[in-house]
Amino acid sequence: MHISDGVLPIAVTIGGYAVSAGIAAWSARRIHSRDLPKVAVVTSAFFVASLIHIPFGPTSAHLLLPGLAGALLGPAAFLSISLGLFLQSILFQFGGITALGANAVMMGVPAVICGWFFQYFKGRTKARQAFTGGLAGALGTFLSAVFLAGLLMTGGEDFFGVAKIALIAHVPVIVIEGVVSGFTIGFLARVKPALLQPVRSFHD
Amino acid sequence: MTRMHKGLAMALLCLCLAGSPSPLWAQNPEDVSTKEVIVLLKEQNSKLSRDLRRIQREIAALRADLDKPGVKDVFAGIGYIFGLFGAAAFAASRRRE
Repeated sequence: MHISDGVLPIAVTIGGYAVSAGIAAWSARRIHSRDLPKVAVVTSAFFVASLIHIPFGPTSAHLLLPGLAGALLGPAAFLSISLGLFLQSILFQFGGITALGANAVMMGVPAVICGWFFQYFKGRTKARQAFTGGLAGALGTFLSAVFLAGLLMTGGEDFFGVAKIALIAHVPVIVIEGVVSGFTIGFLARVKPALLQPVRSFHD
Repeated sequence: MTRMHKGLAMALLCLCLAGSPSPLWAQNPEDVSTKEVIVLLKEQNSKLSRDLRRIQREIAALRADLDKPGVKDVFAGIGYIFGLFGAAAFAASRRRE
């Protein structure tokens, strides 16, 4: 899910950069230096996941993973996703460089929301953690599609029309993301539960 | 990767051009009447344009392939990410000392 160059009005483009810079600064302050390797690994996974195309009927969808990144990183996910999107846009030509701010808001804010969702509902058992992780993965893609519709609305599109199309196009992605995130979190809960702890901030 | 693709496309083009039907002037002009020449020319023309279309299609497919991010881009990106976070970790460790 990427917005290309020239789709959004200039005010929204600049606003997107301003908002994402603000959230990225907040996100960077929440990362403790001990968690940098974890953030780096999740960023790499997010960066590469967009290349994994899943054939689905006549079309193919690629993984987005904002929900999984959010569940693993919490507030730090925003910085991670911004960096991943920046590298995707310069190396893969996914999304435009001018729309980067808006893209970061579109993918990063749902990730942070998913992080809160996951930490709040994850419970103690492994099965529940896997289930909540799957829900967080699906929720991340769903929210991203809603944000996409909201941003495209500023470009003069009709919100409900675009939202409907974006959601229908992403239904397979939402399902697959949910399954992939659920299995990933279930696996991590078994082999490395420490990764599912929230990222510590400087104050802890 | 890119250079290999380009080289492949060039080799393909040369091969197709070399394999195209032999030119008409190789035949003796005196025992071929004008009508036959025209028929032959048309045949050759259609054959050539068919070949040309095929090559154009293949070039378009190659170009589409070149637009896709390759392994190099993926590793470049991962390298960037680890490098940036490594630099951040370095800065953080210096600050703590």
